[in-house]
Amino acid sequence: MRSNSFLKALVVITLPFTFCSICKSAGLGEMEKSVVMLRSAGQEFDPVTPWKSKAFSQGVGSGLIIEGNRVLTNAHNVSNNKYVELQKENVAKRYPAKVAFIGHDCDLAILTVDDTAFFDDTIPLKLAGLPTVNSKVSTYGFPLGGRRISVTEGVVSRIQVDTYAHTGADSHLVIQTDAAINPGNSGGPVIQDGNVVGVAFQGLRQADNIGYMIPTTVIRHFLEDINDGIYDGFGSLGVVLYPGLHSPSYREYLKVPAGQQGIVVIDTLMHSSVESILKRNDVLVRIGDYKSDNDGRIDIYGLKLEMSEAVEVKQIGQQMEIVFYRDGLLQKATAAVALNRPVLEIARLYDVSPRYVCFGGLVFVPVTRNYLETWGPQWLIDVPFYLRYLFRNSMQLNEDSQRKEYVALSEIMPDELNAYAGSFKSQVIKSINDVPIWTLDDVRQNFEKAAEGYYVIKFMEVDQPLIIDVKTAKARQAEILKKYDIPAQTMLEGIK
Amino acid sequence: MRIENLELRSKKKEFRKLRCEVCFSILNSKFLILVCISLILLIAGIAKAGEAQIRKAMKESLVYLDISSYGYDQFRPWRNTDIEQKGGVGCAVGANLVLTPAWNLTNAKLVQAKVSGQNEYIPAKIKVIDYELDLALIELESDSLAKPLKPLKFKDKFERGAKLNYYWLDSSGNLTTGQGYLDRAEVRGSTVSYDRFLNYIVTNMSQETGTGQLYCDGTTPLGIACWSNQAIEAGLIPAGLINTFLQAAKETNYPGTPSVGFVTQQLLDPVKRTFLKMPPTLKNGVEVSTVFNLGTGSDMLKPGDVILAIDDKDLDAHGKFSHPAYDRVGFHHLINCHKVGDDIDFDIWRDGARQKLKVQAKNFSVEQMLVPWYEYGRQPEYVVTGGFVFQKLTRPYLTNFGKDWAGKTTPHLLYYLQDKAFKPTEERKDIVILSYVLPAQINLGYLDLAQLVVSKYNGIHVSSMSDIIKAQRHNPESKFDVVEFEFDNPTVVIPRGQLQQADMLIGNNYMIPKMVNVGE
Repeated sequence: MRSNSFLKALVVITLPFTFCSICKSAGLGEMEKSVVMLRSAGQEFDPVTPWKSKAFSQGVGSGLIIEGNRVLTNAHNVSNNKYVELQKENVAKRYPAKVAFIGHDCDLAILTVDDTAFFDDTIPLKLAGLPTVNSKVSTYGFPLGGRRISVTEGVVSRIQVDTYAHTGADSHLVIQTDAAINPGNSGGPVIQDGNVVGVAFQGLRQADNIGYMIPTTVIRHFLEDINDGIYDGFGSLGVVLYPGLHSPSYREYLKVPAGQQGIVVIDTLMHSSVESILKRNDVLVRIGDYKSDNDGRIDIYGLKLEMSEAVEVKQIGQQMEIVFYRDGLLQKATAAVALNRPVLEIARLYDVSPRYVCFGGLVFVPVTRNYLETWGPQWLIDVPFYLRYLFRNSMQLNEDSQRKEYVALSEIMPDELNAYAGSFKSQVIKSINDVPIWTLDDVRQNFEKAAEGYYVIKFMEVDQPLIIDVKTAKARQAEILKKYDIPAQTMLEGIK
Repeated sequence: MRIENLELRSKKKEFRKLRCEVCFSILNSKFLILVCISLILLIAGIAKAGEAQIRKAMKESLVYLDISSYGYDQFRPWRNTDIEQKGGVGCAVGANLVLTPAWNLTNAKLVQAKVSGQNEYIPAKIKVIDYELDLALIELESDSLAKPLKPLKFKDKFERGAKLNYYWLDSSGNLTTGQGYLDRAEVRGSTVSYDRFLNYIVTNMSQETGTGQLYCDGTTPLGIACWSNQAIEAGLIPAGLINTFLQAAKETNYPGTPSVGFVTQQLLDPVKRTFLKMPPTLKNGVEVSTVFNLGTGSDMLKPGDVILAIDDKDLDAHGKFSHPAYDRVGFHHLINCHKVGDDIDFDIWRDGARQKLKVQAKNFSVEQMLVPWYEYGRQPEYVVTGGFVFQKLTRPYLTNFGKDWAGKTTPHLLYYLQDKAFKPTEERKDIVILSYVLPAQINLGYLDLAQLVVSKYNGIHVSSMSDIIKAQRHNPESKFDVVEFEFDNPTVVIPRGQLQQADMLIGNNYMIPKMVNVGE
């Protein structure tokens, strides 16, 4: 059950710029009228020097009209969005739209259109339940290869929990289909018997005809979540599990009765909602109404699925009952469903500019997946050792409950002040003048605090500190910021 | 008319005189040319004779080494890898003793020599091998040699830009030569070990060398090639180190050469120097960044010390000293020049003051390292129990992951190699890992476990491979062997009652001739 999800080779169907001019056509069905083309322009942030933006890009995707004059699409169609417009099949007019809600963890977004005329002659599509394996489905959208709406047919091949490539870290239920899903299909509906059974969202690069859709269980969770006007996200269990009861000896060692199924708790995430409830070598046997088998799977939706599904049926803040064995005794507890994110966020982040502190030409940023991915396609191999170590094992390496994040020296803006600091680039900061750094704001505070003497900046697993003269650094700060067009010394709140 | 005749006579006389002078002059220059040609021919003859003499001498002093290597599979340590045949060059340093880089002999199982003019192989055995210096002394079977080898005398001679000839004997017994230019001397990391030592760097070679080819300045042997690269550069182990090695090799127990027990980092930053309370007049010195638990200086130096001088040779901010012949050379050379046990004078800057230290030159065996750098010729240590394959973590184990191994291996294992390899303690002498699990009924449910660091075995803290053997005998009344790991990993529980039979089946099934290989 340990997650290696970021290693999987799923590839999001991206949105290459394919400028389509729609021609008049006759004979549109009701379904086609509610499937829309989406054109968007986005601009990514630079995680290394965060005051700079990367080049902007444009793309084409699909969306579907749902009740409440809303358009449902993929989050990856409108991430880091600067502009989005919608167009209906056979209608020349284009309608500027707004991103009302976006759930990056489930790759879904809701768009609204100010001009209500956009929804004329459309019928909101309805959500169905989970389709059965081997049943027929039709994919609607505006993929590459033409200018008109495309409909492809296929069957449901598999239903399972898998990684959502948009963040590279979140796993939810997915439906695999052999209906062609190509770039541009993203966000389009997958239809069965006139109702939506999924939203097309990703494909497998190294295989033919393996496409994935987001099932309605996930869509419903998202829609229910935003009912209060805020998107909270999907909760998780916050535990590391291992299917250990396959070993009769391990079972006996853990004093779990013969015939009892369950999954072994290896560790809990620091600050998680179950941190004070569960502990190592507990055996989780039930969550809510769902009993676990020895692989940590439960019976839900008429399928055998991962235990995480028992958590995902609930919204953040709702309670869940946990039943587990400890030292041979059956115990019950209640825990709140929470996000339970690791201290080093392994999910790719969007829509929020990376935070930074730039002092004395030294640029500090939080260690995030976005920062690590700047090492290129093979970033997991190419990143400096300690960053890789933290990414893979921050949960085990961090023993400090006060830590909120890891902070790295991402760039050095050259100046006489930092001429000898080159070897510290890409290192993770440990302390400034022996004050531990647990957040980016700690960096700012400690630079501001000292009035004279030296900044003694220590880095993790680096033996010798970087020494900066306090007075010189403060005296040169304004000039360095000016020289490199850095708008502010610190940016601690990400700007949307 | 008469007058005219007289004038004519006079002119004829002058003409004759002139002709004589010209003839003499012509004769004179011809003579000179002849002399020059003769001289050139003489010199060329001498050179040719000299060259022929050198070639003859080289044929009597060089041998071709035919080496069969047979290592161990790092992931299945009970089995050998395929046999590898390689060739190398040996230089005679005694009637039946030859010198060659240690690299040639890694995992060597059979060494045979070929000498010029003799068809059959000469049996040979390794007498002394020093991987840190990358040198080995091989003894050829005297009785099999038709005549004694002609020993070479290596001499330290460094003339930057000097044209060097290099020689080797190929597998057919033919002498081959090439040329290059002596470019510089520098301390470099060894290709076979963790250590660093002085190399002479030869550039613009006519072909790649690196397996012991002999380099000479004229007739003076300067060193043997220990590496070469595609930029047609080669590294020579210089005569000075060779002679130190040969001297030490005469001792009954080869004492080895001192190894450096610390790491330095350049101290260029004036702010850092002021922070360390160094006066502005003190411009030299290199900072100690890490101190190991092994090697020279490990017991005397502290991180943050600044080494100002070694043996009264000032070190610059990069840790180099001024050498009369080599220019700037890394301080490792000053330590390598000592014998193990010597006191070395260190001038250091510590806590705002200059101090003098007597640092004992030390070396250590690779087995003492927490994560050994190499295991040439040694079978990796392992224990197979219930299909669980426990191994000692070594660098060869990690490099066995192939290209980009450092990026591919589990970071927690790499951490021990990068940060702790030279820092064994009484509490931690080895890193013991569960390498992987051989599928069998007894280990049902554990198949996915791999590359985990063992922390406890039956409640006993595991500090070395031998602790596993001890722990297996612990609590004989217990029903299970219980193995715990670092980080978030499941506990392995092995039923003792089933072990004997399971191990027999696993041994047969996976063709494991010996379930345990653990040294004392």
